Amino acid sequence: MNLAQALLSGLLIGGVYGLFSIGFSLAFGVMRIVNFAHGGVVMLGMYVGLYAFDASGIDLLVSIPAALIAGGLLGATLYVTFYARFVGKATLQQLLLAIALGLIIQVLAQMAFGPNAQSIRSAWGSQYLIIGTMFASYAQIAAFGVAVVATLAVEALLHGTRWGHAVRAVADDAEAAGIVGLDAQRINLGAFSLSCALAALAGSVLVTYYPVSPPVGFGLMPIALIATVIGGLGSVKGAFFGGLICGVVEQVASTAWTPALQDVPLYALLLIFLAVRPFGLFGRPSAH
Amino acid sequence: MSEVLRVEGLSAGYGDLIAVHDVSFSIGQGDVFVLLGANGAGKTTILRCITGLMSPRQGRIIAGGAELIGKKAHEVAKLGVSHVPEGRRVFTHLSVEENLGVSFIDARAKGRTLRQAIDEIYALFPRLSERRKQHAGTMSGGEQQMLAIGRALMNAPDLLMLDEPSLGLSPLMAELVFERLAVIRAGGTSILLVEQNSSCLELADRGLMLANGHVVLAGDRAALEDSDMVRRAYLGTN
Repeated sequence: MNLAQALLSGLLIGGVYGLFSIGFSLAFGVMRIVNFAHGGVVMLGMYVGLYAFDASGIDLLVSIPAALIAGGLLGATLYVTFYARFVGKATLQQLLLAIALGLIIQVLAQMAFGPNAQSIRSAWGSQYLIIGTMFASYAQIAAFGVAVVATLAVEALLHGTRWGHAVRAVADDAEAAGIVGLDAQRINLGAFSLSCALAALAGSVLVTYYPVSPPVGFGLMPIALIATVIGGLGSVKGAFFGGLICGVVEQVASTAWTPALQDVPLYALLLIFLAVRPFGLFGRPSAH
Repeated sequence: MSEVLRVEGLSAGYGDLIAVHDVSFSIGQGDVFVLLGANGAGKTTILRCITGLMSPRQGRIIAGGAELIGKKAHEVAKLGVSHVPEGRRVFTHLSVEENLGVSFIDARAKGRTLRQAIDEIYALFPRLSERRKQHAGTMSGGEQQMLAIGRALMNAPDLLMLDEPSLGLSPLMAELVFERLAVIRAGGTSILLVEQNSSCLELADRGLMLANGHVVLAGDRAALEDSDMVRRAYLGTN
């Protein structure tokens, strides 16, 4: 693999990283919830994609709506049952709860789907677009396209609709939101459901070219954390660009160095950002 | 005269500390009522109890025929009681227009569209109209106070409560804010004002003075102005 190929592959998977990082960042930015079970939701989204493909034979047209609905419902359930009482606090208890939920999701997935890695054998995954010396599968390209469209849609939702403005108002000052008549708990429920829907959506497109097994979810959490810090805590477009950077750094390190150590530059990047620019690319120095 | 707010025997505190003890008052339609007192006298606590941000120990708070105690802040807002909190608390990352837009309650539209409601606020505070696209966090304290008041007016409240609206403003800006409050009152909105600034007495119909959570004086404007306690604390004369 040459460097240009690594850049392209990194960019394509980075879009999907960006997509699930947006969801992670949204839950933190609006509710101060650090959802370590977020990767578990991505993993469940991958199984939704897998089974939707098995059942229908059509990839994304079925798996995307199925994953959005499943992720949204799971998010609503997690919020009402567990997270609502921790809103705005970002406590150690909340962190431990989230890790426990992530583990429970992983174990349940292992019981339901078995421990082995499974992948989709779709026509897309084995057809390649060749550009000069570089290549990309149609599945990779489609997944990237979905990630970009979904990111733009979330940005439009947050900045162009009254519901989105209300979400941003609650993120800014939940108490002040209450006194102007916004029901913060109901808005949080919607925002958390959206966060998990985006995670499941990312999973459903990722599985078209990336094998799924129960531990995949936790494996993705460092990416979500690093992308969110790089992009700026709570910033949607920041998390997306953070995901792109993570994808590129990972792939280039894997090509130029060794795949076994592909994550090392990612952690180095995290440390550099925390030391030099802790509010990230799109964060504000004053923000919380 | 119809009442927009009645507070009866209100007591509230934080832990072992009693911040407000057995406070009662009522506000009539179109009245301006002031709560006077030093820092820590319990004024903000009373507003927080009314708005549902804090649960009192005892008492009743009636507005629009409904008991407010036990209601959440957003439910109180829907009953027509608006609160301009201490420190303004505008949504700093939202633009001026977005701040106003999220504060519009459809159930209290009273025949206005969102656009009409926002334009009414711009008519009251033309400065906000000039800054409509600007992020609220980048505005001056006076402009943020205008926005905080405008935001509270978006639901066409029966009662507008303001917690030290002149705090941190230049005398000129404070004067402008009080002048606008007179316009708002002239429109029929009742006002509950917590203030350190003596200019507020010019606006007041009635009020009371608190010390350590107890009512030490209550009456109409003349009674407040004549009181030695108020003169010492507010007017700088003996």
